[in-house]
Amino acid sequence: MTDLAKTDLAKTDLAKTDLAMTELPVLVVGGGPAGVAAAVALAEAGLRVLLIEQRDRLGGAIHRQPAVGAPQIWRGPARHRRNWAELASRLEHVAERIELRTSTVFLGIDGAGRFLFDDRMAGRVFARPVRAAIVAVGAVEKIAPFEGWELPGVMSAGGAQVLLKETGRPPEGPIVVAGSGPLLLAVAAQLARAGNPPLAVLERGRPWHKPKALARLMTAGAPLAEAASYAAVLALKRVPCHVGSEVLGVSETGQGLTIRVRAGSAESLLQARHLLIHDGLEPNRAGIPLPAPGAEVPVLLAGDGREILGADAAILDGQRAASAVLSRLGHAASAAPLEAALSKARNFQLALAEALRSKATPPTPQTMLCRCEGRRYADFAALPADASAREIRLMGRFGLGACQGRFCGPMLAELRGEALPTANPPRWPLRPVSVAALANFSTDETES
Amino acid sequence: MARSPSLHVAVIGAGIVGAAAAHFLAAAGARVTLLDASGPAAGATGASDGAVSVASKKPGPMMDLARHARAFYGSCEADGLLRGLFHRRSTFLVARTRLEAELVAEHGADLAAAGERVLDVDRPTLLNRIPGLGDGVCFALEIPDDGHALGYEITQRLLQRSAVTVRRNAPVSEIVMRAGQAVGVTIRDELLPADAVLVAAGIGSVGLLGLGDILIPRKGQMVVTDRAAAGRPAIDGHLMAASYLAAKRGIVRDNAHIGLVIDPLVTGQFLIGGSREDHRADQATDAATISAILRDALDLYPPLRQRRVLRTFAGVRTASRDGLPIVGPHPHLGGVTIATGFEGDGICLGPFMGASAARMILGEAPGVDLSMLAPQRFSRAEALA
Ligand SMILES: Cc1cc2nc3c(=O)[nH]c(=O)nc-3n(C[C@H](O)[C@H](O)[C@H](O)COP(=O)(O)OP(=O)(O)OC[C@H]3O[C@@H](n4cnc5c(N)ncnc54)[C@H](O)[C@@H]3O)c2cc1C
Ligand SMILES: Cc1cc2nc3c(=O)[nH]c(=O)nc-3n(C[C@H](O)[C@H](O)[C@H](O)COP(=O)(O)OP(=O)(O)OC[C@H]3O[C@@H](n4cnc5c(N)ncnc54)[C@H](O)[C@@H]3O)c2cc1C
Repeated sequence: MTDLAKTDLAKTDLAKTDLAMTELPVLVVGGGPAGVAAAVALAEAGLRVLLIEQRDRLGGAIHRQPAVGAPQIWRGPARHRRNWAELASRLEHVAERIELRTSTVFLGIDGAGRFLFDDRMAGRVFARPVRAAIVAVGAVEKIAPFEGWELPGVMSAGGAQVLLKETGRPPEGPIVVAGSGPLLLAVAAQLARAGNPPLAVLERGRPWHKPKALARLMTAGAPLAEAASYAAVLALKRVPCHVGSEVLGVSETGQGLTIRVRAGSAESLLQARHLLIHDGLEPNRAGIPLPAPGAEVPVLLAGDGREILGADAAILDGQRAASAVLSRLGHAASAAPLEAALSKARNFQLALAEALRSKATPPTPQTMLCRCEGRRYADFAALPADASAREIRLMGRFGLGACQGRFCGPMLAELRGEALPTANPPRWPLRPVSVAALANFSTDETES
Repeated sequence: MARSPSLHVAVIGAGIVGAAAAHFLAAAGARVTLLDASGPAAGATGASDGAVSVASKKPGPMMDLARHARAFYGSCEADGLLRGLFHRRSTFLVARTRLEAELVAEHGADLAAAGERVLDVDRPTLLNRIPGLGDGVCFALEIPDDGHALGYEITQRLLQRSAVTVRRNAPVSEIVMRAGQAVGVTIRDELLPADAVLVAAGIGSVGLLGLGDILIPRKGQMVVTDRAAAGRPAIDGHLMAASYLAAKRGIVRDNAHIGLVIDPLVTGQFLIGGSREDHRADQATDAATISAILRDALDLYPPLRQRRVLRTFAGVRTASRDGLPIVGPHPHLGGVTIATGFEGDGICLGPFMGASAARMILGEAPGVDLSMLAPQRFSRAEALA
């Protein structure tokens, strides 16, 4: 800024405040498709953007890149790559208006309304004043707990997928993939391509018993083609896929795992080295603060973190959130026909959920629910039915550990049949943060 | 022991004090309904540290009461009621300046005069006990007979071991009086009849009894870290900085003071606190205060550098105007007893005070003279409405 501009604008206090407000960035948390789409749309409309991503680069769950030096063994459907390439090039064009901070974790909003961030490289927590925020932190995986899921050798299918994408190597030894949802097929196919086809894929749902839902899925187009391509890979590699089949428990035997499987009324045992489990996705909402709709600094959700609608819809949803912010801030926002496309994605997800709907066998008392604190189903069942949020946390010791309930929260909600009461006010930090970094906190004044 | 098996007591507030009173009332044969706007330990009891500490108390009645209360923990631990929940451990009073050293020495003399064991610890011994302690620590005293208990665990145990009816999500809006005598309480549209009412509602007591001139909220922010040890305290005692004593002895009176304590929990985690923010009744934490607490904590105990913060939380202490709890019969409302105003000492005092309030309601004399805590003391100056 030139000196002239400075003097001009400093004439009145009002102008000063206006300048300060307009110069403040809009915060976007999450560098997945939704967050990047939102950041690009805001920057293209002329706003400054602060884009925060906890990982060392953008991409999100689907465009996760191999670590430096690791082979790229799987590149995903061409459509997703095209969409991402397009976003990336638009990002290039407006790069000067986007302050990108990777390896930086959004920690939440504190009681004074500060947006807090943990700069993991610098080892420092900082706050930044922002005009508005879009939180696009993606999904968390659900699992239906059974005895032994916490054993080494068992991991979430999504977690295994991340490892596979980052290291370029599948886990060694026989693998079983189990649970429910389209990710089972995707991960199994990716493992097969990477050279270690799973022993079996066990889907609890029985889609063939839901012809109506299947019929609705058949009209889906791109996602259907994606599923078909996975199925083709699995058929080629002769990976058996069983429906109506679920894991009841797993135990350690020698080098590997003994997996107890039920299909209908028949039980059988499988031996494997790894068991990958997954039971669908859920918005990652744990501790995300959502101020009242009229709040001075609006906070909006976008992408899988708002509603699980898939990768294509995540881009649209990021644009939708950006439009909403733009109109809140008095800018002209393009009224693109986003809602129609989003509702198409929603119908697809609903049909998918209906096709795969199945009830998991209830956990035994000994089944682990919270790994962080070693809490079991019996501990949960011992809580009164009307237990308050605080009783669940303090007396049940659920959601008290390092993951702050991000992992066990959805599991408990499923078992309770209703969402867990949330801590009020929402807690920060959203993620564990080093004592030294937080002690190093610098206030907004020195930051901006 | 009970006067009448049909005596029905409505206890308002399921914090440690209400839970203890309810437990001992029921144990004596009374019928008890324990009402909480949210649930057990929803107030200060579930958002506090758990120092069962004589070392921290202001000389005078508080120091004496704390000695009784700590002994009560010891006997409840021994008779099984609180088995496994009360842990003996030393408090180290530590000074980092000459002025602080004088304060600690003076406090040590007061403790000794009250009958408390007080041990001198030189720096080499201290470093042996707490390796890594900050260079600035120039003087310390060890109070070896203190202990620790978690308020919510005590509350839960007291309720598990009794036939008290607990009603969650039951906000009391009014105590219903007839002819100068309490006949019940109102919960939304419901009238719950009761022969006696105990108000143990922490800061909620202000609204119920119109005590706005007598009680103030004092918010405290705290930090919980990850584990530095597995299943045992990571250091051999509770570190209490002179800044905490200064607040307790009424030397500092600023509204955002930090009284530093570093508490090694039995889980191997650290609990670090805390701020003292007068007239703040919210449960929000802020980065400026939390980071100030951590900077002070790192100065006192640098190995905390290796820990991660898992949570921050805030609780609201209920402080009375004269610094003493308020325990006893309401001066004007027949059948209403009060037990609140425990400020930052209610985990230590709670079980003992709850048991004492129960005895008062049953018409028995408490084991110790509690006349200085009587609500009556405020009605001399003005009507305790
Ligand atoms: C495990 C998993 C596997 C999937 N596999 C497939 C697949 O094979 N095919 C397919 O079509 N779809 C897949 N999906 C769905 C697809 O990834 C999503 O629909 C899409 O990526 C959603 O985009 P998003 O931007 O909303 O969230 P994401 O892509 O998840 O992006 C969220 C971003 O936010 C960041 N973040 C989270 N919390 C913080 C924080 N506190 N501070 C800073 N940054 C933060 C994350 O690191 C991430 O980069 C998968 C999803 C998951 C979770
Ligand atoms: C940060 C902090 C650290 C502390 N550290 C220590 C320590 O180390 N050692 C120590 O001894 N003490 C400590 N304390 C103090 C201790 O926590 C309190 O003194 C004690 O918990 C008070 O217990 P209580 O039962 O009186 O009140 P509370 O625990 O506040 O309980 C009151 C209950 O009443 C309920 N309620 C309120 N209004 C109504 C209504 N109208 N109807 C129905 N229910 C109602 C509330 O929901 C609440 O559950 C600390 C406090 C704080 C905040």
